[in-house]
Amino acid sequence: MTSLTTFYLSGIIGKEAFGADGDAIGVIKDLLINAVPSGQNDPNQQMVIGVRLKIKKDTGFYSFKTFRVVKAREMINVACTGLTQLSKEEIDNGLLLVENILDKQIVDLNGRKLVRVNDVRLATLPAGTFAVAVDIGIDGLLRRIGISFPIKRILSLFKISIPTKYILWDDVQAIDFSNLNIKLSKSYAKLQMLHPSDLADILEDLGKKSSTSVFSALDEEKAADVLEELETHAQIHIVESLPVNKVADVFEKMPADEVADILDELEDDKAELLLKEMEAESSQEVRELLEYDDNLVGSIMTTDFLSFSETKTVEEVLRELRTKKPEAAELYNLFVTEKNDRLIGTFNLRDLVVAEPDATLSQIMKSEPVSLFDNQKTTAVAEIVSKYNLLAVPVIDQNEQLQGMVVVDDVVEDLISERKTRKRK
Amino acid sequence: MILGPGIITGSVDNDAGGITTYSVAAAQYGYGLIWTLIPSFVVLVVIQEMNARMGIVTGKGLADLIRENAGIKITFFIFIGLLLSGIGNTTTEFAGVAGSMEVFGVTKYISVPLVAILVWILVVKGTYKIAERIFLVFSVSLLTYVVSAIMGKPDWTEIGSAIIHPQFDVSTKGMAMVIGLVGTTIAPWMQFYMQSSVIEKGLKMKNYKYTLADIIVGCIITVVVAFFIMVACGSTLHPNGIVINEAKDAALSLRPLAGNLASQVFAFGLFIASIFSATILPLATAFFVCEAFGFEAGIDKKWDEAKEFYVLYTGILFVSAVIILIPNAPLIPISLWSQVINGILLPVVLLSMMVLINKNRIMGSHVNKKVTNIIGWSAVIILIGLSATLLILPVLSR
Repeated sequence: MTSLTTFYLSGIIGKEAFGADGDAIGVIKDLLINAVPSGQNDPNQQMVIGVRLKIKKDTGFYSFKTFRVVKAREMINVACTGLTQLSKEEIDNGLLLVENILDKQIVDLNGRKLVRVNDVRLATLPAGTFAVAVDIGIDGLLRRIGISFPIKRILSLFKISIPTKYILWDDVQAIDFSNLNIKLSKSYAKLQMLHPSDLADILEDLGKKSSTSVFSALDEEKAADVLEELETHAQIHIVESLPVNKVADVFEKMPADEVADILDELEDDKAELLLKEMEAESSQEVRELLEYDDNLVGSIMTTDFLSFSETKTVEEVLRELRTKKPEAAELYNLFVTEKNDRLIGTFNLRDLVVAEPDATLSQIMKSEPVSLFDNQKTTAVAEIVSKYNLLAVPVIDQNEQLQGMVVVDDVVEDLISERKTRKRK
Repeated sequence: MILGPGIITGSVDNDAGGITTYSVAAAQYGYGLIWTLIPSFVVLVVIQEMNARMGIVTGKGLADLIRENAGIKITFFIFIGLLLSGIGNTTTEFAGVAGSMEVFGVTKYISVPLVAILVWILVVKGTYKIAERIFLVFSVSLLTYVVSAIMGKPDWTEIGSAIIHPQFDVSTKGMAMVIGLVGTTIAPWMQFYMQSSVIEKGLKMKNYKYTLADIIVGCIITVVVAFFIMVACGSTLHPNGIVINEAKDAALSLRPLAGNLASQVFAFGLFIASIFSATILPLATAFFVCEAFGFEAGIDKKWDEAKEFYVLYTGILFVSAVIILIPNAPLIPISLWSQVINGILLPVVLLSMMVLINKNRIMGSHVNKKVTNIIGWSAVIILIGLSATLLILPVLSR
């Protein structure tokens, strides 16, 4: 007997398992694998632990330990030396290959996109049987339909080979856990390492049920980043399908202007409910932004910015930045204000880095800075950003008090999305 | 202007194939088959409502749902069928382009390649969304059939009595005509199209009332346009005993009977409808096939990202255009065969839909109500009956 046997899921489902004396025991309906990894690189996470077996009219879950898949003359045979029923807990912690993987969408973590599974490749090693890879290629499709062999024969006459496409099990994240009482945050662990933009694209392509369950499995920081990246109607779906307190927690981690954009799209009652649930400080900022009309600068500005008094030294400012650890966008442009928040100058990271530590901000700042009024039309933003080559433009009100800043990222987003809405199907 | 998925789908529904079938039926049977529009309307509303509901609740396309729940073999069967009927239907659209332009004296060797290239560029170069809107505005021109119909001075009391006393010709030809009429009004690919549009628009269950209204308006558009096409041809061609095979023939034969303007109006409507559907059909077909088999799809993807999708899309467009350009192309068998494929496909798709929409696991509390189920299942049974007849008839008539 060879120590390694590889086979396809489609080759084993519907097969009879035979006992030692050659008697048929039951028909294999599904395989159960370990779905909740105990550690990052737990080798057991892809091991087949159970089998759903139909014996006469009853189907039940049995341990796979007593089963063995052998290949004899290209034929797959399943040998069984006894039946041990699995406990409910073991079943709940598992993932069913037919029920949850085959024909379903999974995330290809390497390609960062959703793909549909045509087949699963498994291997039997001395240590057990493991799911090795999922087959997403045309080859797998033809094999499932049962016409792989004849088509390959015909194509080989023309020297054409059908491309095979596999994704290794390590790079696979199952999405559909609908029938199991599994702990979702643990099962979706692999998704945490994807970039928020990629995750957002994936969520948009998923069905409603799955996108909600994947989203709620993310930690708050990640969830906030992802929610920000989603398209409007996906945002609304997520916000409306999750409990209010969960959404409020995520909102608190998001920039106020993004939250305001989402709330603008919701019904007033729902928006009010969410604002009440949020911490007072965060919700106040959002409320102020909500008062601006959609086409005014105030509606797209962020209230996350940094301002200092002109007497501060470069060293003090740098120290402050180190302790605050602000987001990247907040450092695009830094502001100098007088007592009542009146904007008197701006400076950037470069100014700060090249200056002597004991220089004061009044010495390095650019006075009479370019700025926008909060009640100005948004159409003015693009022109100013490109004319003065600014990454962020300060926004002031009629009393010249600093209210926020418009970040170039948001403007670019608007410009592109204007084009995108025209382009998309 | 708010254009819901129902109105868009309803406008796409009256494509060259539809116009052809309605004119041929009316030329042959006069007002005799207008009654079929009433049951078609009811079934159309019920089916599209189910599609909308599935789309809203699951957020998944019909192709996705079928693949995930019906198994790969049924999926394969449905989508090979859909692909073939997609090619067949697109061919009919190009026949519409060719025919309508010939009425204006433009040869098909110019009009068809030009339209095919135009359509291809529109979609691949990504101005599809604008194109869709322009077409929708133009599709108002379908209402020109009302003008055509009135110019033919129809006898309204006769039309009324023909609807009240439905006639059913139990001959091979008559049966085939009825199946053709129902099949062209409720084309299988429309179900997939409807469900995707609902998802794309991000509709929600709490706005369900508007969605339903939108669907009903869309179906009314479909049926009203069909009605006037049938009246236009029924009042002019039928009494004069003119038998036609193509929509172009209808346009040409209207000239001596209802005037040059009526004929040109008819041809213009046909042209717009053909281009509109020639844009959407190959795109939609390629999209659903890719969705079912898990290939990347969508015109916002680059060629390299979604190779299968673009190859399929281009292939359908190319093959269809080339078939029309073949001198003496066997157009009638092609349109007949694509109707046969539609006829077999429709009950299978409907059956899958009925099963899916009654599953608690998928639809939760939004599974079908009793009335919808009764109408849905009767439609499935009648359609299976009709399709079976359609398949057996040619054998019997030999």
